[in-house]
Amino acid sequence: MSEGAKADLLKVNGLTLDYATVDGRVRVLEKVSMRINKGEIVGVVGESGSGKSSLGLAIIRLLDSPPADIIDGSIVFEQNDLLRANNTELSRIRGPGIGMVFQESLAALNPVYRTDAQLRESIEVLRRTQGLSISDKAEREMMVDILNDLRLDRPEWVLKKYPHELSGGMRQRVSIGMAIVERPKLLILDEVTTGLDVYVQNRILNILKDLNRRTGTAMMFITHDLLVASQICDRLYVMYAGRVMEEGGTDFILNSPAHPYTQKLFAAIPQGFVDAPPLPAPKGEAPDLRKLPSGCKFNPRCPLVMQKCRDTEPPVFETNQGSKVLCWLLEKK
Amino acid sequence: MSNIVEVNNLTVSFIVRGGNLLLFERGGGMMDVVNDVSFNVREGETFGLAGETGSGKSVIAWALVGLMKPRSGSIRVLAKEIDFRKKADITYLRRNVGIVFQDPVGSLNPRLRVKEIIREGLIAAKTFDRREYDGRIEEVVDLVGLRKSSLEAYPRELSGGEKQRVSLARAIVVPRKMVVLDEPTSSLDVSVQAQVLNTLKDLKSKLNLSYFFITHDINVMKYMSDSLGILYYGKLLEVGRTYDVVTNPKHPFTVRLMSNVPGLKRTKLQGREERLTEQGSSATGCVYSKVCPRVFEKCSNPPPMFNLGADHHAACFLHEQAN
Repeated sequence: MSEGAKADLLKVNGLTLDYATVDGRVRVLEKVSMRINKGEIVGVVGESGSGKSSLGLAIIRLLDSPPADIIDGSIVFEQNDLLRANNTELSRIRGPGIGMVFQESLAALNPVYRTDAQLRESIEVLRRTQGLSISDKAEREMMVDILNDLRLDRPEWVLKKYPHELSGGMRQRVSIGMAIVERPKLLILDEVTTGLDVYVQNRILNILKDLNRRTGTAMMFITHDLLVASQICDRLYVMYAGRVMEEGGTDFILNSPAHPYTQKLFAAIPQGFVDAPPLPAPKGEAPDLRKLPSGCKFNPRCPLVMQKCRDTEPPVFETNQGSKVLCWLLEKK
Repeated sequence: MSNIVEVNNLTVSFIVRGGNLLLFERGGGMMDVVNDVSFNVREGETFGLAGETGSGKSVIAWALVGLMKPRSGSIRVLAKEIDFRKKADITYLRRNVGIVFQDPVGSLNPRLRVKEIIREGLIAAKTFDRREYDGRIEEVVDLVGLRKSSLEAYPRELSGGEKQRVSLARAIVVPRKMVVLDEPTSSLDVSVQAQVLNTLKDLKSKLNLSYFFITHDINVMKYMSDSLGILYYGKLLEVGRTYDVVTNPKHPFTVRLMSNVPGLKRTKLQGREERLTEQGSSATGCVYSKVCPRVFEKCSNPPPMFNLGADHHAACFLHEQAN
């Protein structure tokens, strides 16, 4: 976290997104607002289908339209309105402005390219969009530096390997390398530690934190794992059914989650030993976006549901500590 | 308490052609993916197995249901040693030990309805009369917490949590002593995971089941298992009662593993980390010696399991004096 540089880097305002499916239109995001300051790590957490990946893809404008249809809202990145930007402008922003790393490193990397060729693609983008002249020798040095930054042992060896020859943790670092070689101001990380061992996961989190500290790269950290998010993020956005249910500082949300959904998410994490009582899991599963209930979208699973929750969707309530919660319980009487 | 399953010096090998299998560049030949592993699963208890990707956890699971033949060592089920060459023994093994695989999509036949999938378990075991099938299927569906209406559904119509419940129903439709659970919740959301874990614990006490539980999530492991083994490159490095291993880990690898477990109390990341060799194992000495921070001369020999008392064992020369 770099203090003193609190200016907005990214501002998403009231973003509403539909997907056209064979079963009709599905609302994927409803009035989602978020901001990411310079040098900040912001977590977007929620279960599958909550819209967190769609939000990431919408920001970097990687959603095909159709089926995606942005109904309303704005995405502003450093005074650039991304929803109005044309392809030329977007390709200047993608990379040096906003980079993205995907969950499936095996799918994100080209299987017939060695690591050096994967990285060269990103450097090529720098050459073309920034007009930089980078010699072959400098290019090689850049690659080795990046792999060193990512604490990959024997960078020269890694550069010569195809994706399938690398372990999951190494591959994920190569795909992070492809994004950070362009020194983005904002890095969108979509479930980058999912499927990795705790130990490798911890390593990658450390590397990202270190990168953030050294270069001031802001990060949007998308994950379903609250514990992982709480380790690395300064602020959290908790999503459910395409809405931000709660947002606030990580420490504050960890200590006193206000929304019943957030509370349930924490309670569902096993903590005790084998003789511990059953986990207070929320009943039911992630909602079907085609058949959302009226009122608050969490109301069928909420233990504290009131009649009001079934009738009317709550607005955003702000708490004393500056966090924002989408729940009638926070309404001041 | 008696042991349901006793595994002694289990070694499972793969044939490797040429060198360079993944990261460890070696010559061709046999490679012991599970190497001299011993542990017991007690009646009505859960034995948890933790380890990194590729450490051989699933291979042990497959051997426990006869999907993989050991090269040496023995597996005893209810005190009877399984001869993997005898079909009757494999049948005996599978009548007593069921399995739920990690991937809920890949392990359910997409062209069968739920009731047919569960019925396959009954057909394979041949212990029930055909006329009892439907009643038994309804009973077990109720046990695992599925709605009756799901019986007519195809797997694709079910959610991830429901699919794992179908797998579980198939595994216990024949009353078994033990179920092997290979990462049963790793593909599920945390709230659904909690529901499935609750069901698993509930069934364990209701049916006096034992579980062999594989996971890489230490929080889940702590919550589910009575005893725990830590596997690294096919070697069991530490085994003991879960509480002891988690709160007082002895092997340097376990120590590091436990210190990496994210908890609800916020642990600030340092952003710094000692530079370590990527991964790797030593072919001759202790498998962990190549990356171990506390390595010393003796580690060039393979360490035996040292008994630390109270069922706690660790394969590390640092604990030699305990004997």
